[in-house]
Formats: sequence, structure tokens, C-alpha cells
Amino acid sequence: MVHFRKLSRRDFGLSSLALASGAALPLAAGAQALQPFRIGSLNSMTGVGGPYGPYMLEAARIAVDEVNALGGAAGRQLVMFSEDDQTRTDAGLLATKKMIEINKVEAIISVWSSAVCLAIMPTTDESNVIMMNTCGSPDIPKENHKGLSWIYFASNAVFARAYAEIARRRGFKRPAVMAFNNSTFVGQAHNFRDAWEQGGGKLSSLVIYEPNQSSYRTELNSVLATKPDVIVLGSYRPDASILLKEWYQSGYDCKFIMPGWTANEGLIKALGKEVLEGVLSVHHVPKEKHPAFQHLASEFRRKTGKEADMYASQAYDMVITLALAVEAAGPSATTLDVNRKIREVTTPPGQKVTSFAEGRDALRAGKKIDYDGASSDVNFGERGDAIPDFGVFEIVNGNLELRETILGSSISQKI
Amino acid sequence: MEGYVITIGITILIYMLMAGGLALQYGFTGLSNFGLVGFVAIGAYTSSILAIKGVPIPLSLIAATGLATLCAYPIGIIALRLGGNYLAIVTLGFSEAVRMTLQTEEWLTRGMHGLTKIPRLFSGWVEPSRIDLCILLLLLAINIIAFLAFRKLVKSPFGRAIEAIRDNETAARALGKDTAQFKTRSLMLGAACAGLAGGLQAHYLTFISPEQYVPLVTFYVWIALVLGGADTMKGVIVGTCILVGFLEGSRFIGDFVGGISEVKLASVRIWMIGMALICVVLYRPQGLFGRSIVRN
Repeated sequence: MVHFRKLSRRDFGLSSLALASGAALPLAAGAQALQPFRIGSLNSMTGVGGPYGPYMLEAARIAVDEVNALGGAAGRQLVMFSEDDQTRTDAGLLATKKMIEINKVEAIISVWSSAVCLAIMPTTDESNVIMMNTCGSPDIPKENHKGLSWIYFASNAVFARAYAEIARRRGFKRPAVMAFNNSTFVGQAHNFRDAWEQGGGKLSSLVIYEPNQSSYRTELNSVLATKPDVIVLGSYRPDASILLKEWYQSGYDCKFIMPGWTANEGLIKALGKEVLEGVLSVHHVPKEKHPAFQHLASEFRRKTGKEADMYASQAYDMVITLALAVEAAGPSATTLDVNRKIREVTTPPGQKVTSFAEGRDALRAGKKIDYDGASSDVNFGERGDAIPDFGVFEIVNGNLELRETILGSSISQKI
Repeated sequence: MEGYVITIGITILIYMLMAGGLALQYGFTGLSNFGLVGFVAIGAYTSSILAIKGVPIPLSLIAATGLATLCAYPIGIIALRLGGNYLAIVTLGFSEAVRMTLQTEEWLTRGMHGLTKIPRLFSGWVEPSRIDLCILLLLLAINIIAFLAFRKLVKSPFGRAIEAIRDNETAARALGKDTAQFKTRSLMLGAACAGLAGGLQAHYLTFISPEQYVPLVTFYVWIALVLGGADTMKGVIVGTCILVGFLEGSRFIGDFVGGISEVKLASVRIWMIGMALICVVLYRPQGLFGRSIVRN
């Protein structure tokens, strides 16, 4: 049982003095120190984006710890706050307002859903806050009027053309498309159809399916009835698990081309290697086996016991990019100064760097830098959208084996 | 800080308007509408499409309210034959049908890509930093007018009639009341509130897409009603404030309670709402401010 002693007036006076002194000390010290750079991580922890948000947050935290362990960026420590947007626009907007107004963040990272991104853009723009996202909606670059939005994800058009190129190189003749009904996957499906038909081919079928079903047999059967030799499957992990299981049970023989954030170790573990044998998994990669990704992958595995996915590596790159931009802008820079430096530290010309430490040293030596990250070489186009390269991995005996790399720049030239 | 509080206020008032409409349908008439979000979506899309085409926002909002009201009429016809759980299923199906239509009719709604560049309320009339405050005041005024009208309505002969239908429809019919007409009117009034709320929300967010109008929104409004009490206006107001208060207030748990990771915190927030709901249903089934007589 807890006993409370009656507080005397003297005790009260002494306690108050101690508390006041305790509170004043950090303030006095803070006046001398540099202001931290505050980052808000707006993650989809629940809702459709729930499988990806926790990975992104963990990767961003690894990056923040790395930068702070090196003394911060331009002497400024990074402080990260995180909120769940529930993959909903109104909840996302409230979380954004909270982080901007209460936590005073200067940048919001890890925005996953296109709908949330478009809903919060007017607020981040109005507050002059940097916003970094992994969204595929073509409207986001168009709405990026103030240049504060940075997109780490290839646009639908670029992704779809990469799929078409992969299918063509492997000699497929009758591709079918199945896509989860949201802006990103529907956009990819339509862009794939356009890209394939421009090359003189014809789709066997295109089916957009509603998510959150216990079975997709009807949609799958309608696709298989058209006898495709490959299915381009735009899915997230929960629906892909059901779809692939039902396809395997059907006994129909065809290949799959899928995004890497779905066809990964988690899916192999969930379905078993037999089901996924020969599936082609496509995701952003640096040009070669990249030190930034290898470093993140090992750190991520050490901390979580899991494999870092594409979104996680994008979240990691967002923090490193911000840290390098803060370093380049200097200790007293404003948010807009930092924003102006983002392109400068990530896009050629400049000395290639693959970590914050490398970039910081080069910047302090007065050199220009070009950060190549864990998710891609992080080169931004005019409207703030990255054009990454694509790694084509084949699942062989339960392992993802890199078969080839398709250059994003070569695809974007055709659009 | 001010902007965040204003945003919370706006969210509460939008949900309150929806909850007021649902209270009229369920709390006072006994109609289980599980498709409220369908009317919200109709209002949001009607007002947004018209405003994007250049129609002034006030006219767009009136049209949105009108169309949502009209769309409730066929549901009212169905409601004549259905009651309780059956009506709930039909209305749920209606809201899903609305969402599917919004997804597939790309020529009008841009499908899953959603509508962007929706004109913002008061944009060009006041300086950008004051827009949110003006929207809050407008919503406050609309809610005050709506709730005063509801209060007058439920105390009028119409109100007594719908309450009689809720408590015992057969008896009301035996007394010569045209219950079908009263139920339809109640549904249409509730739908009007939902449509207006949807329109206002669209002009606040400036972006809408079909994935925003999922049944979860309807269930949030239901949670507000269950928490506060569906058959009193005070209950509706308090229930909405508690719901949004819980959802937003729980964001700060991590600041005060250590040892909870962000991943767990996201689940804890939803868990808290669930627990509050269970406690209310167990210990105060009529809601915190509902009438104490438990109806059969």
C-alpha cells in the first residue's frame, strides 16, 4: 500500500524550488545549443497500409539514430515524432496538424497513401513544411506547386512501363492484368495496357478487383479463362496471399510479375516456396549491390529480425536526405533553406556518397555531393518525383535472385 | 496549437452533423441506417463536381443536400416493408453500391484517382491563415441551426409521431398515422444532414476519393450515438465529442506513458474505443445521456 505523507509548507517550498531549478537548467542549456531538426513520421500503422507502416517507421528510426550518433546534421540533432494516419484522409490530416502545430515538425516523411498525401498537401504547403512520400498517384507531382513535396516512388506510368519491358524481354505474348482497386494499382494497370498495346500487343484480360474479400476465385477464373501466359498482379500482401493460393489450387500454369513490396520474404514465408516458384518480383534498386541498402538491411535485420522492404528503404533514404540537406544548409537554416538543398545533395553533378557520414565529410570538405540511397539513386525530376531503377528478382527455391536491372531513366524517356 | 484545435473542432462538427441525421433516423424513428456514408459520399461528390465546374459553393452545397435527400426516398419506400436488421443490411448495401458507382463512373468521378482541386470554402474571401477558423465558425452555425431545428422537430406533432413509430409501429398505425410517410420523411431529413456534412467536408479537405467513403465512417457515427445516447440531442453532441476526443486524445498517450511502441499505440487507440463502447453497452446501454427507459 502506498502511504502519502502530509506535505509541510517548508517541504512544499523546497520541492517547488527544486522543480523550478530542474526546469530552468535545460532551458538555459538549450539557449546555448542548436535547435534540433524535428521530423514527423506519418505512418499508416492501421488500415490498408498497416503491413508497411511499422517497417517504414523502424527504418526511419535507424537513420535518425545513425545521424544523431555522428553528432547530428550541421550540429543539429534529429528528433522524430510519429503518428498513425489509419490510411484515412481525415485522420491523416489531424495527425499532420498535430505534428506541425504541437510537435513543430519541419518535415513530414513516410506518407504512404496517395489519398492521405493529396489531403495533407494544402496544409504542408501552407505551413511551409517539407513532405516526403511513397505515393504513385500522378496528381501528386501536378499539385506540388511550392516544390515542398518529394516523391520516392516511381510514378504509375514508369512502373507500368517497367513491367511491360520485363514481360517483353521474357517473350510473353498474352499478358493479363489483375489490380487492387486503388489509385496506384488502377493507374499501373491502365498504363501497362497502354504500354503493351503501343508495342503492338494485346492484353488477354484486365480485371480490377475489390479488396478485403475472403476469396478472389471469380475474378481469378475470369482471368484464367482467357489463357494468359503471364499475370501482372498489382496487389498488397493480404490479397496476394489469397489470390496466389487459389491460383496454385487451380493447377493453371502461368508466370506472375508482381511488385517487390508484395512478392517478398514475408509472402514466401506465408505461402511456401512451391507456390511462388518462378514469380518475378520487381522493385526499386540502386544500380548495383548497393552499400546503403546492404547497411540498412543488416541493421534492420539486427533490430527487428525481419527483412527491410522497399518502403522501409525509402523511409530510410528520406531521413538521410533530410540530414544531408540540413548539413548543406547550415546550422541556422530555415525549413525552406533545407528544402532548397534537397535536390542539390541528391542529384548529379557531385561526388557519389552512400551514407550520411560520407556525405557530411564531403560537404565539409566543400564538395558537391550526389546521394545514392538504399531505395534508389534518389535523383529527383523537375516536379520532385524520383525516377528509380528497377531490379527484377526471380523467386527460386524460396530465395529472391536478382536477374537484371532496368534503368528508370531509359523508361521515362519513352513516356 | 490553434490550428490543431480548430481541425479537431471541424472534425467534431462534421461528425456531429452526420450523427444528428442518424439520431433522427435511429434514435427518434427507430430506423437502423447502416448506409449513412453513402449519403455523405453523394453530398461530397455532388458539391465537389459542381464547384469544380464553376458553380458557387453555397449553391453546390444546396444541390448536394438536395440530391442526398432525394436519394433517400427510394430507401424510404423499401423501409416500408423492412425493419430492424433487414433495413440495416439494405442500407449497408446501398452505401456500398454508391461507392462502387463512384469507383466505376470515371468519366464523372475520376474513379479511384479521386477529385482534386475542389474549391476551398472561403478561399479568396479571407486570408489563407484564417480559412480554417471561418470553416469552424460556419460549421458551428450550421450545427446550431440543425440541432435547434431537430429539437423543435422532435417536440412537434411530427416528432411525437416518429417516436410513437419507434416505440410501437402497430399502435401508431392503429391510431391512424401514416407510418410509411413519417419514416420516409425521417430518412430524407437524416440523409440531408449527411449530404450537407459530406459536401462541407469535401470543401474543407479539397480532395476526395471513393476509398474515403467506407462503412467504417458509418460505424464511427454509430459509436458516437451508442456512447452518448441516440435519443437525445445532448447525447449526440457528447457522444461525438467523446469519440473524436478519444481518437485524438489518445495520440498523446505515448508522450506520457513510456514503454508503448508506436505500433502498439496505434492498436491501443482503437482498443480504447472498443473498451469504452463495451463498458457503455454493459453499464449504460441507453448511452451516457440517453433516456433511462430501455425500450423493448
